[in-house]
Amino acid sequence: MDLMLAILITVVGASTPILIAALGELVVERSGVLNLGVEGMMLIGAIAGFVVQFHTGNSYLALLAGAGAGVCASLIFGFLTLSLSANQTATGLALTIFGTGFSALAGSSYSARPVTLMRPLFPAEFAASPFTKVLFGYSFPVYFAFIMVAAIWYFLHRTRAGLILRAVGENDQSAHSIGYSVIGVRYMAVMFGGAMAGIAGACFPLLLTPQWAERMTAGRGWIAVALVVFASWKPFRLLAGAYLFGLVMTMELYAKAGGGPLSVIPSELWAALPYLATVAVLVLISIRRDASTNAPACLGKPFLPSN
Amino acid sequence: MTISRRNFVKISGAAMALPLMGSSAFAQVEKIKIGFIYVGSINDNGYNYAHNQGRLYVEEKLGDKVETVFVENVPEGPDCERVIRELAQQGCNLIFATSFGFGDSLVKVAPQFPDVAFEHATGYMSGPNIGLYNARFYEGRAVCGTIAGHLSVTGKAGYIGSFPIPEVVMGINALALSGRRINPAFTVKPVYISTWNDPAKEADAARAMIDQGIDIIAQHTDGPAALQVAAERGIVGGFGQGADMSAFAPETQLTAIIDHWGPHYLASAEAVLAGTWAPGNTWEGLKEDVVQMGPYNAKVPADVVADAEKIKAGQIDGSFHIFTGPINDNTGAERVAAGVTMTDAELLSMDWYVEGVEQPA
Amino acid sequence: MQFRLEKRREPSKLMSYATPVAAVLLTMVLGAVIFSVIGYDGIGAVREIFLTPLTNSYKWQDLGVKAAPLIIIGVGLSIAYRANVWNIGAEGQYIVGGLAGTGIALLTWGMTGWWILPLMVLAGMLGGMAYASIPALLKTRLNVNEILTSLMLTYASVQLIYYLIRAPWKDPMGMGFPQTRLFSEAARLPTIIPGTIVHLGVPIAVLVGLVAWFIMSKSVFGYRMRVVGAAPHAARYGGFSENRTIWLAMLVSGGLAGLAGVLEVAGPFQRMVPGFPTNYGFTAIIVAFLGRLNPLGVIVAGVVLAITFVGGEVAQTTIGLPNAATGIFQAMMLFFLLAGDILIKYRLRRVMPQATAGTA
Repeated sequence: MDLMLAILITVVGASTPILIAALGELVVERSGVLNLGVEGMMLIGAIAGFVVQFHTGNSYLALLAGAGAGVCASLIFGFLTLSLSANQTATGLALTIFGTGFSALAGSSYSARPVTLMRPLFPAEFAASPFTKVLFGYSFPVYFAFIMVAAIWYFLHRTRAGLILRAVGENDQSAHSIGYSVIGVRYMAVMFGGAMAGIAGACFPLLLTPQWAERMTAGRGWIAVALVVFASWKPFRLLAGAYLFGLVMTMELYAKAGGGPLSVIPSELWAALPYLATVAVLVLISIRRDASTNAPACLGKPFLPSN
Repeated sequence: MTISRRNFVKISGAAMALPLMGSSAFAQVEKIKIGFIYVGSINDNGYNYAHNQGRLYVEEKLGDKVETVFVENVPEGPDCERVIRELAQQGCNLIFATSFGFGDSLVKVAPQFPDVAFEHATGYMSGPNIGLYNARFYEGRAVCGTIAGHLSVTGKAGYIGSFPIPEVVMGINALALSGRRINPAFTVKPVYISTWNDPAKEADAARAMIDQGIDIIAQHTDGPAALQVAAERGIVGGFGQGADMSAFAPETQLTAIIDHWGPHYLASAEAVLAGTWAPGNTWEGLKEDVVQMGPYNAKVPADVVADAEKIKAGQIDGSFHIFTGPINDNTGAERVAAGVTMTDAELLSMDWYVEGVEQPA
Repeated sequence: MQFRLEKRREPSKLMSYATPVAAVLLTMVLGAVIFSVIGYDGIGAVREIFLTPLTNSYKWQDLGVKAAPLIIIGVGLSIAYRANVWNIGAEGQYIVGGLAGTGIALLTWGMTGWWILPLMVLAGMLGGMAYASIPALLKTRLNVNEILTSLMLTYASVQLIYYLIRAPWKDPMGMGFPQTRLFSEAARLPTIIPGTIVHLGVPIAVLVGLVAWFIMSKSVFGYRMRVVGAAPHAARYGGFSENRTIWLAMLVSGGLAGLAGVLEVAGPFQRMVPGFPTNYGFTAIIVAFLGRLNPLGVIVAGVVLAITFVGGEVAQTTIGLPNAATGIFQAMMLFFLLAGDILIKYRLRRVMPQATAGTA
């Protein structure tokens, strides 16, 4: 039982940054924009968060710095794809290359410098027993991710602004003709995605491993992008998907460490499993119901007003 | 070239004997330029960082008699071939290729630059101007294992490995053998994570093992992530790898294995300066100061420190070798008879685990 | 005074040639400024990254060898992207192509015969095609987004290498290291210029570019790909099946990535090692865009990217520029290029506040 709870705690840690980044990307894609630069924005957020944590020790400021850096990075993408209608796939990839290089350069003087982990949100008494620890033992970003799942669902489906955002993603021409600023809405969405990716990146030094290492997100930004499709652009499914993914990644390590029957699976297969599982789930969703019906109709297409 | 691997080894063996017969292919030089090729970033806090420290050591010792250049993040493959040629062409007299995967490239390029001295870390293919060097990290593991055997309460240590290569397998075995000398019930649980540098995954692997009862952690990956988790969880302790990582976990790092390539790099540089460089095959350890132990943590009791120091001293004066039989493998079969010490060649191709190591997937 | 964009009647030829050149020049200027500001030798950085590889004839062989796989993969991707099929898993197809070739090389180890290399090349192309056909099948049958499936499969293929070279294909003489044995002579790609490292893959890359250019601009196949990409609805009315186009695009891009993989493993590598995936498949995406999705442009773009890689290493040794700088230069180049794209379809017109009416 205690082991189950311990596994759960590790799963929460592994899933949180992926979930936060994916939530941001979900909003971006709902507005009809595909930003493949999540990995790059996460790395920029990670180094910004690390630097602020290192110099101030204030984790909330560090998260804010991650968000701010993510927004700045996303504006490069926004300007190129929205103002200049550049190809979104290529721009996103370029942003990832940029983020990898930029963060490595900015972080080069911060190696061999540890920081402290972000403190848990609740006082230690709340997390005294293993059972309450599972509920109250985490720091702020974990709860933030859960709140954002509900908030984004509410925003998309219960608010006027959310309706406009979805309209822009589904049919930009008619949203434009009704008088909404398609480009304006998409800018907001892209910036929100940047902020979330930045926070997700900052989670790496603040939650998982209190140091800066080049490319420390190690491909998790790409997983976040994949999860959005996996979740058919629905926030609560995204929550399930991110935790499922975190579970698979974590189970690999627990199975290997535990030496039980699962440990006979070659480690390479374990390492490939999350990716194969993503493909499998994409297929399953599609067999049940055409996945494309959920995809924002304008996803990835530049908006050019036909006047 | 149409030589098979088998022939090649023979040829290179013959070539290695040449300098002993008084060949002086390498002329004396006034000032030396040394090139270093790193597989990762010099800021990795571990393996590549340590090699770069070695470079700085040479610069400090030789002053204006030396100029050093380095290229970092070089992929293991044709890209390396190009980098080696670039460095040779820029006038480097001595080039260190610091990762195993650079070997093929070195064998291809070195013959084109017969006046340049090449040295390959952790490899096995030498040549007329390719020397080999490696460090006996396992000696450090034996010291760590002694401490682990004394201090572990659960009698279980975790070991995070990248890939199951002999270098890593040897380290796991050395830790287990030395721990079991102290506590016969001591076991080591290896987990391979298929990457050298994914700190979050290293950290989660450490968590997974700690949750399942280990209270000592060792790792053979490039950073301090596992040690930081050990500190966060407050287990008995862990060991720094490659460099002193006490800054990352001051309470938790019991000691560290420090790759101290400086003396080797200096010796090679001085040999090139003097015109006496010859391709060697060095595998140095604690004795030559190429492997160092970090400071012992204040919480390690004095008698444990004394025992660890004894193991260290024994390896320095040659009276103790951790891979001396009887050694059984983890299926119980005897692999090394009592009193017999494994040869270097056997160690360098080790692909089995000793008793007390859980068989990894 | 304001500017507004005005759609051109047809894409500007001049701009489509001028913007890549401008993007490279702008990168050089801005890069020099930025790196000077943050304390490096900015002008030196630009000189070493962009010019040294060209002025030093000793580096040309490196450019050819580095550019070859980028060009081969980039050509395939440019064809797929023209048809609006977003294969971003070329890295995985490159890997599986390399593995297929390796399989043949190991099966025929110790044998001689002219047929071994062609067989390896065939296996490599088929391997790449087979791996690309998974996203193609999922896309055409189930409408699963090919961007994600092809990407996820790339990560899986890396693990496949690790598994094969650790267990069944491990070199028995390799001291336990995870790599295959060196290929025998018949399974190695010959060098074509004695005394250099330029192997047969380099002319093949150029040939692939030329043939693809000819096909794309002169044949019905090329016409179909372009029409489907530009106007999918119109294409459907015109009798072109979208599914067939997806299949063709994936098979061509996957097959070429597989070709690059097998040429790479038989040429520069000569055995399968853990370091085989070197991001050529991802870098080729940049190459495809930098080359304007035109096979001839891809040849040029492949060389430009190769210059930045080779030059980036030179800059590390000569002026101490960190490795990360290369990525920043490459990203900047792509940013400027993408920003310039708009000038091909639009012209910038200055408008007086009252004169906005009348245009459009």
